[in-house]
Amino acid sequence: MRSSSLSDRIVPLALVVGALLTTAAFLLAFLVAPLVAGASVGSTEIIGGIAVSNKLLLSQKIFFFHVPVAIVSFAALAFTAFYSIRYLMTKESRFDTRSRTATEIALVFIIATMASGDLWTRFDWGVWWVWEPRLTTYFILMLLVIAYFILRTAIDAPERKATFAAVFGIITFVDAPICFMITRLVPSSIHPVVFSTESSMSPLVLVPFLLALFGMLLVGFSLYRLRLRQVTLTNRIEFLKLQLEEKRQAESRKKRMMEETKAITVE
Amino acid sequence: MVRTEMRNPSTLCQFRILLTKDLRIEFRTKEMVTSMGLYALLVLTVYGASLAQTAWGFNILQMSGGLLWVVIIFTSLLGLNRSFSQEKEFAALDGILLVPMDRSVIFLAKMTANLIFLLVIQIITVPLFIFFFLATTTPAETALLIVIPLLVGSIGIAGIGTLLSTITMHTRGKDVLLAVLFIPLIFPLLYACVSATSMMLVGTDDLGAIWRSLALAGGYDVIMILLGWVLYDFLLSA
Repeated sequence: MRSSSLSDRIVPLALVVGALLTTAAFLLAFLVAPLVAGASVGSTEIIGGIAVSNKLLLSQKIFFFHVPVAIVSFAALAFTAFYSIRYLMTKESRFDTRSRTATEIALVFIIATMASGDLWTRFDWGVWWVWEPRLTTYFILMLLVIAYFILRTAIDAPERKATFAAVFGIITFVDAPICFMITRLVPSSIHPVVFSTESSMSPLVLVPFLLALFGMLLVGFSLYRLRLRQVTLTNRIEFLKLQLEEKRQAESRKKRMMEETKAITVE
Repeated sequence: MVRTEMRNPSTLCQFRILLTKDLRIEFRTKEMVTSMGLYALLVLTVYGASLAQTAWGFNILQMSGGLLWVVIIFTSLLGLNRSFSQEKEFAALDGILLVPMDRSVIFLAKMTANLIFLLVIQIITVPLFIFFFLATTTPAETALLIVIPLLVGSIGIAGIGTLLSTITMHTRGKDVLLAVLFIPLIFPLLYACVSATSMMLVGTDDLGAIWRSLALAGGYDVIMILLGWVLYDFLLSA
């Protein structure tokens, strides 16, 4: 058995490239992308010696972190659902490991999205939390992912654990498209529709955003692969330990039997 | 030669037998409806205590949709927790699983039984709620229409709840786990139903908004029940 496949060797490289792309995107976002006009001030006021009629939001820069991270969390959940279906079709435990790992990555990125989103909410809308449709559905998504892990720890039998987790992983994924589409379904939402054909993003905003998006996707994917490798190796070590233990027991039994036969022949 | 004909009972027949079994058990023990009804009454009493100081100060009609659904959610949680306990006693579920039939029928029968219990409870609870808290208010003319969101919501609660209580049946700390899984999963449905109920009670000019909420709730029901139908076999086989 080869210790590292081709994809395992590519993964660290992908991680580095992802980190570089994300860093470049952040630099571009702060240095190149123009400030975005936020809420209007009401009447023209003098801010910083310039007459302005609406506030320019520096906090909007969170967009370049927040949205890519959120997209990666959705992608990770899609992986969870995909491998859950594969598990139910084949009952092979490697698919269960994969869907569990994907959910772990999803949880990491969901928490990053919640943290960055919360800061953004505070500075743009003036409140820490509001029960707005997108926030609510995303919060629910986080609870579901946490519930997935609580469910896993509450079941002992490995096969039953994997099956139930797979079923729950599939139904959890129903909330992901709802969360993604909610800004279109409920027009009162304060979240803007970012992805549409008439998107008004200028190239100066679009380029750093896309760089951050691909960077984050690479980071997410390589984290997933690294974690998967770690879990697989841990499982293999556990298996080897078990085998070693059995072998040792068999040998000691054999030795004891030989000693007994020797004792009998001596007599 | 004597020709013996063995015909499998139709799916509808299997469904009817399973459903009658659940209803008959309930009719004899009255365990589920009594405990759920009593629990609902107790929640209403708690409302009485918590709203007593403010009841005259604000328009309770605005909140009534939400309050009504809180009773329904918690009461259904209690019922769903118990819905499989009698199946586990004396390994009754294993007996059902021995029958060569489509496992999804078990899901549908159990779901329908839970739905019926839930509706019976609502027939008692909703008038009580109106009697206790809305007697001094004047609900809008559309108030009678709240039976639609109540029905749509109950179908979804029964569907999702049956699926999840099958999962939690075999777990440690199953009561808490059912709540942990159930409440986030029911949330989109709850949100849509509460908004439809509130709009109907308070009255709104925007009828489109009511129908949008109901369509959202109905769509969620359909997706979840279809998923339950497909995935139930895996749950019972594990």
